[in-house]
Amino acid sequence: MTGLPLVSVPRNRPRLWLALLSAGLAAACVASLLFGAGSTGPGASLRGLLAWIAGLDAGPDDARARFVVESLRAPRTLIGVLVGAALGAAGALLQAVTRNPLAEPGLLGVSAGSALAVAIAIALGASAATLRVPVAQLGALAGCVAVLAASRVRGVGDDPIRLVLAGAVLSGLLGSLTSMILLFDERTADEIRFWVVGSLAGRRPADIMALLPGLGVALAIVVVIARPLAALALGERVATGLGHRPRTVRLLVIVAVALLVGSATAIAGPIAFVGLVAPFAARLLAGPDIRRTLWLSLPIGALLTVGADIASRLLVRPSELPLGVLTALVGAPVLVAVVRLRRLPGL
Amino acid sequence: MWRIAARGHDGRWSILVDKRATAANLLLTGLLLAASLASLCLGSASIGATAALRGLFGHGDAMTVFVIRELRLTRLAAGLLSGAAFALAGCLMQTLARNRLATPGIIGIDNGATAFAVASVVGTGFGLAPPAMALAGAATATAITFGLAGGVGTRGYRFIVAGIGVGAAFGAGTQLMLARAPIDNANTAYPWTVGSLNAADPLAVELLAVGLPAALVGAGLLARALAAVRFSDAVARGLGIRVGRCRLHALALAVLLSALAVAVAGPVGLIALMGPEIARHLSSRRGVPLFGAALAGALIMVVADLVGRRVLAPIEIPAGLITSVVGAPFLLWILLRPGHRIGA
Repeated sequence: MTGLPLVSVPRNRPRLWLALLSAGLAAACVASLLFGAGSTGPGASLRGLLAWIAGLDAGPDDARARFVVESLRAPRTLIGVLVGAALGAAGALLQAVTRNPLAEPGLLGVSAGSALAVAIAIALGASAATLRVPVAQLGALAGCVAVLAASRVRGVGDDPIRLVLAGAVLSGLLGSLTSMILLFDERTADEIRFWVVGSLAGRRPADIMALLPGLGVALAIVVVIARPLAALALGERVATGLGHRPRTVRLLVIVAVALLVGSATAIAGPIAFVGLVAPFAARLLAGPDIRRTLWLSLPIGALLTVGADIASRLLVRPSELPLGVLTALVGAPVLVAVVRLRRLPGL
Repeated sequence: MWRIAARGHDGRWSILVDKRATAANLLLTGLLLAASLASLCLGSASIGATAALRGLFGHGDAMTVFVIRELRLTRLAAGLLSGAAFALAGCLMQTLARNRLATPGIIGIDNGATAFAVASVVGTGFGLAPPAMALAGAATATAITFGLAGGVGTRGYRFIVAGIGVGAAFGAGTQLMLARAPIDNANTAYPWTVGSLNAADPLAVELLAVGLPAALVGAGLLARALAAVRFSDAVARGLGIRVGRCRLHALALAVLLSALAVAVAGPVGLIALMGPEIARHLSSRRGVPLFGAALAGALIMVVADLVGRRVLAPIEIPAGLITSVVGAPFLLWILLRPGHRIGA
């Protein structure tokens, strides 16, 4: 990425970090199964978890705990992992293709576009469960195209902060339009009021299945695109010289980001800052290579989201916080740190 | 020449009157009066213009007098005052940061004020009144933003993005408090999330009614210095202006105005961007159109509130949403004009 010191990183360190992060993610997932806002404490949850996994027949208390762990917390944890990884990867991709360390789907209006599309669809009478994912992906696609178009405007592309400002404004506009739709339409408002602030609570396993095709396609694109993207980081001419086609690469990146952000937004609502923090941390750990950043962003994003979700359950027991609030509290200082640390062009 | 010199009868003093700025201010005042009258007349029960004016002075039947004076006039006053305060604060911030995007809404001051005001409204242990808390919040947010950015003016953009981060954190804090508070009625939360005149606090309106004229006088005293600070610190210093002090005063005024306005109407930040912009286009390029910006801001707020009330009656669209939907494309246009410099 631009402005990063070109330190040479030992080849094995990214793998070490990947292993460490995966272990941390596994621990976070277990914690996410054990802790909750309700009355089922860690001890009871542990017995419920054992009853679920080992198939032990247990008393009525354990059966209740098993229900909580199996039907409420397990889907929630899985969604947290998927959403976090998707947003982390989307952030890394968007940052690479706009050459802007501040590019982030939430900040740039991609998530807001997705949310608006869902609000419109529900207001027009679509049932939330069936149409939400493709509609959200379409909305995210529109947002992505707008962002890339803005980043191609002369003077904006070289100026990371101007793009972020434009994105913040676009986000605000789309958010206002969503609020307006909610205002007119009581049914829509009831259906998505709590989805709009970003939360993982109360999602069904069927909702997860609806995400898998989009995420699978996006993952395939990421695998194919990682190398050309690394070449594109050296400049358009270099990439062309190496036999890659920058236009195609960019197009694929847009599609992948739209699929990732659309899927994540469809199930969890617009969640900002994960896509900023994950690639930022990944670059700190593994250096500037886009491929490493991309792969490390997956577990970091997942870890961040699952961690924020656990915190959202524990901070204001017995009620819960919107997840988007927590990621914003973590992410806003990182945004400031990026601006302070990096020698951004135009700063 | 756009300027004329008028001499006193004894020839010892003269004032420079900027013809174009005067014309612009008169135009804005006229529009503002028309919008205010419309705001008094239109509502769920429409009242004719003459009846409304008579009601305003206490004539006519009791019902009309009550509707005009108790309901619509207080709302109109809240709109006029808060709109003018937002725009004046925006104009001051833009000038001292030399950047048209550096308005209190964008750099997080509004969000800081909102967060603190909400803290006092939902009763999280602080006993102060919302306006005082809003002031504390605005000052806190400003201090944090300045601390993070390492000063203003020299690094305009860093300052703005630091402000966006600070604003996002405070916005999340507001959401957090609203989520914890037993507010199941979205209408109660609306003024604090998007900005609306629906539930303006009478105490806050009274405070603003005192604060705004004082701030206008203060801004008027600063106008000359600000007009020079617009160019560069060196130029301003060469003209004999104490730049640091001028900045500090302008900043203090902007923070005060934003806080008082937020306490009345919530974060309707885009007015701070649009008001000065309109005033700048209408009046001459010399000087800083402080007064024109205040007039334009009041006009935007009153019109936005009127549109929000009437367009889809009986559903009321908060004024903050109207300004956001109208103002955001405008802001995008400023940002994305190819090859255009935003600074200065």
